[in-house]
Amino acid sequence: MINKITITFIVLLVSLNGFTQNEKVEISNRELRKGRPNYIGITMGLGGASLRDFATSPLFYYGTPFYLSLSNIRYDDKRESEKGFSYTFGNYNSNFNNHSDISKVYTFSLFYSQLYQLNNWSSDKWNVKIGGLFNTTANLRVNRSFMNNEIGYEIIPTLFGSIKVTRDISRYKTKTKIFLFIKYQLKPKSRNLAFKVNVGLLNSAYRNGFVYTGQSYILNKPKAFDDYQFKFFSGFRMSTVLDYTVALKNKNKIQFSYLWDAYKTGGDINKFEMAQHMFKFTLLFNTNNK
Amino acid sequence: MALPLLFSCENVLFEEDMASANPKVNFNYLWDQCNEKYSYFELKNINWDDVKTKYEAKLYDGMSQDSLFNVLGAMLSELKDDHTNLISNFNVSRFGVKYLGQDNFDWRIIEDHYLNRDYYISGPFKHNFIENGEIGYIRFASFPGTVDDANLGFVLNRYKNTKGLILDLRENGGGAVRDVFNLLSRFVESKTLVNYSRIKTGPGHNDFSEDKPVYVTPYEGIRYKNKVAVLTDRGTYSAGSFTSLATKALPSMILIGDTTGGGLGLPNGGQLPNGWHYRFSITQALTLDKSPDYENGVPPDIKVLFNWNDLTKDEIIERTILELQ
Repeated sequence: MINKITITFIVLLVSLNGFTQNEKVEISNRELRKGRPNYIGITMGLGGASLRDFATSPLFYYGTPFYLSLSNIRYDDKRESEKGFSYTFGNYNSNFNNHSDISKVYTFSLFYSQLYQLNNWSSDKWNVKIGGLFNTTANLRVNRSFMNNEIGYEIIPTLFGSIKVTRDISRYKTKTKIFLFIKYQLKPKSRNLAFKVNVGLLNSAYRNGFVYTGQSYILNKPKAFDDYQFKFFSGFRMSTVLDYTVALKNKNKIQFSYLWDAYKTGGDINKFEMAQHMFKFTLLFNTNNK
Repeated sequence: MALPLLFSCENVLFEEDMASANPKVNFNYLWDQCNEKYSYFELKNINWDDVKTKYEAKLYDGMSQDSLFNVLGAMLSELKDDHTNLISNFNVSRFGVKYLGQDNFDWRIIEDHYLNRDYYISGPFKHNFIENGEIGYIRFASFPGTVDDANLGFVLNRYKNTKGLILDLRENGGGAVRDVFNLLSRFVESKTLVNYSRIKTGPGHNDFSEDKPVYVTPYEGIRYKNKVAVLTDRGTYSAGSFTSLATKALPSMILIGDTTGGGLGLPNGGQLPNGWHYRFSITQALTLDKSPDYENGVPPDIKVLFNWNDLTKDEIIERTILELQ
């Protein structure tokens, strides 16, 4: 808990520092915005994930979900924004004591992030940005072995504090190399490696009530989210992303990423825990030729 | 290097893995779940702490899966509730409330002596005219969730000119609750309060939500307006008992036969640390005077039992015909 508060405080402090940079405004913000490269990102991924919903089972369920996402990204050295949605789906299994069960899980996420450069911490090779990310994740889970509790769903809205460190690893000159007496040339290439950490500052959850299922069906008033409760400042979420991005000659880019995302809801009972390790491949299509 | 670091982050963030085949761990987990969420301790006068003492003593190190299953299953049977089961891949525990009363139903006798063999099957309903076409008989053996406008509309239209209708719910173990309201909506002429319901909201044995009213609204289409007799026995359970409970509030419906099996608590579903599954009741259905007593069975308005010495007639149907004439 103390660590959580310390991390939150540091991120907020650094954020404040970042937003109060004194910069010479030589060109208007509008011109800057227009000149900022804009990309449409199409992502596919595959990974490993685990979940546990104490409301129905103390066992972890493990799966290898697929990941799809569509996003709009505008970024340059000074500023970066991304908005989009993702859809993750797959079967999660529990195998223990000769008993196996399957939970089908469908996850939808909407996200929006803004990052600003920290001038003091940035250089030609290094770029440090800080800001925030708002992510709302909704899970729909179906596990027939839970009988009347077979369908589970929750919404996890989170406001993150974010920091992203980018290292320019471009090759600016042609290099000649020899491998096993074979001579070859490495041509100039623009590329970078970035690591982003998101720490949940405002964690919340929209989850089921005490006994998980509601009674709306036996009241003859069937409804979704029956007996659900919204809890602010509940639980914790954290994610990291490692991106390797290569620029192509046509101004498009390709990106290889590794995403780790983990969260749990709060309270003493019926906690929900989920973690994902996702390898992603993204095509970034430049839409404004900048 | 990053992967182990992130996995260790998860270990800090998440609670420890609880998967365990240990008898004591699973016993305590199941006992706790029931203790906090089961809804009928007080009505059934069950001292759950005493039950723990009784069955905990039957645990021992190295006991087989089968032995553990028998201990946990017997513990759940103390709840005297057929919405309570322990389910493994080698056995399912159950209480068997229908054995609290005698058997009151034989389908072959009804086929041979009442329906004839040319009866109709419309979705989940088996039905025909009886008593020289004056009464309609409908056998509804379970609530499969397939009652719809077409099959129910056909059935009720066929018997619209009869003096009365028999809806036979004997040995109907229940099923989809939506069928209950689809059915009842054909027998009311105005929105009618039929019962109340409440759900567990906390770990105390009496932590319940407020009592919420349950209404039946008339179907906008074919409805049956004459008298309807609902036949019940100890095998009439869950959705069958919900229907029976509602008849107490509906003036055109009468309950004939034996007391139902109860099962008026909505069951949940969950898993133990060893992978087995369980379920038990987590709501209470209340009568119009807000009593949960009918969980022990909805009593008939006219009590009639089957006479197994005469296999040429069904005494419950015979008595019902008299009532509907």
